[in-house]
Amino acid sequence: MSSVSDRVVAVTARVLKVDPENVKPEDNFTADLGAESVQSIELVAMFEEEFDIEMEEEAALSVETVGAATEFITKVCQEQGKL
Amino acid sequence: MSVASRRKEHQLVNTTEPNLLEDTFEYSLPPLIKFDGPLIEHIDGQVVEFDPKSVETRDIVVTDTTFRDGQQARPPYTIDQMVHLYDLMAQLGGPRGIIRQTEFFLYTKNDRETLDRCRELGHEFPECTGWIRAVKGDFRLVKEAGLKETGMLTSSSDYHIFNKLKFKSRQECMDSYCEVVDAAFEAGVRPRCHLEDVTRADFEGFVLPFVDRLMRMSEQVPEEQSIKIRICDTMGFGLHYPNAELPRSIPKIIYKLNQECGVPSDRLEWHGHNDFHRVHANGATAWLYGCDALNGTMFGFGERCGNPPVEGALMEFIALKGDLCGIQTEVITEMADYMRSIGLPIPDNYPLVGKHFNTTRAGIHAGGLRSDERIYNIFDTTLLLGRPPRVALTDKSGADGVAHWVNEFFGLKAEQRISKIKCHKLARWVMDQYEVEGRMTAISDEELEAKVQQLMPEYWEKHKLAAV
Repeated sequence: MSSVSDRVVAVTARVLKVDPENVKPEDNFTADLGAESVQSIELVAMFEEEFDIEMEEEAALSVETVGAATEFITKVCQEQGKL
Repeated sequence: MSVASRRKEHQLVNTTEPNLLEDTFEYSLPPLIKFDGPLIEHIDGQVVEFDPKSVETRDIVVTDTTFRDGQQARPPYTIDQMVHLYDLMAQLGGPRGIIRQTEFFLYTKNDRETLDRCRELGHEFPECTGWIRAVKGDFRLVKEAGLKETGMLTSSSDYHIFNKLKFKSRQECMDSYCEVVDAAFEAGVRPRCHLEDVTRADFEGFVLPFVDRLMRMSEQVPEEQSIKIRICDTMGFGLHYPNAELPRSIPKIIYKLNQECGVPSDRLEWHGHNDFHRVHANGATAWLYGCDALNGTMFGFGERCGNPPVEGALMEFIALKGDLCGIQTEVITEMADYMRSIGLPIPDNYPLVGKHFNTTRAGIHAGGLRSDERIYNIFDTTLLLGRPPRVALTDKSGADGVAHWVNEFFGLKAEQRISKIKCHKLARWVMDQYEVEGRMTAISDEELEAKVQQLMPEYWEKHKLAAV
């Protein structure tokens, strides 16, 4: 099974329509990957779907980079017994 | 004093708790209007002070001319329509009669039937009064209708006296008007002299001598018949700015009539027009400077650009008094809906009743509404007008706007509210309308409702079907 990191990259690439090979942990969703307002919401929604979790809206939307998203989602998955 | 000597340092009052100034913006009322000093006017070389706080104790009122001036701007209302509007107006003004009077034409069979049917409703307020030309014979109509008071045209500018009414001199004009006033007295009717075009009149040369004479005539009749003066800013030339010149200065007009001619405040009435967008501020100014009655029409419908909107005057009244005083503000919405239903257009952005008066479109504003509706709502419009704040969706609305619309649509509060994350499909559809489809118009509520049903079926089932 893919790692959390790989799945985060895959969802990010699919929602933002970028090549997964070019998505790095330090990439900022907005500045580097070009996420617009609605795409940020879509990313959170797709992460929730991918990992079958519920994320607190404000906290999830405050995450800025791909690496930070991996950490955040890992933590939520652990809390919600999904890992 | 030089600019430099007026400079002073201002210290930040640091706090971690917001100061929302709720003494003024208490939300359950329109923001209160407070003063911290007198109003100052220079009149005939003297400094004159007016106490704006006097409105808190004076019996200021709104009077209505929806069926007279208001009707001059549109095709006639039917009798049933006028009776229904009168009934709603009585509810709106409340038991204390904040809408104190309304005036009616008396010339046709329909006019008289309307008046009879309105009075048959048995409301104490608004009192029905008449409106006639300055013609002695017209008092027969007033007397036959059994009215205690009627307005009559007493035009006061030379534009009217010479160029319209064709009098040969001001003296001839004044004598003619006074003959009609005498006829009113003889008929046992209180005359309300409408000083038409007063803001373009020779104030010292005609208006003041005429009103002096009217006050002398009033001394000959019982108090209840004494003459009222309606100050008619017929062309909207009146100015509310301090120290404007006569005849355009509202403070000076009221001061001279009130203090020099001795017309009591409760016999002074302001009637404005909106030709220069000043109509509401001018009307409220009249209250502040000593005129007790503010005459207007529902939603400002009136000759040319209209009159002071009664609903706006009522909000101003509440803001000045700091109390609803029995005014049933929610009836404003009912009256607007009724006006629309009988074909009177009310612009979408019209204050208090327009379709979008409390609708925000910008996503960043919708975000504010989502966290605390007071941020972008003028007062508790749900409580006072039955109109919750809304968001209309465009390309500027963002996910915040979409989420706000969805929550308002389902009527969800607090913890029940759906997060914007759960609205992502609808937000995507909205954005694609503009970015992919090239749409140039706002999205209607009907379109959104259909899309919510399609894209958020679980919520539709839970909240919409459950409500049905």
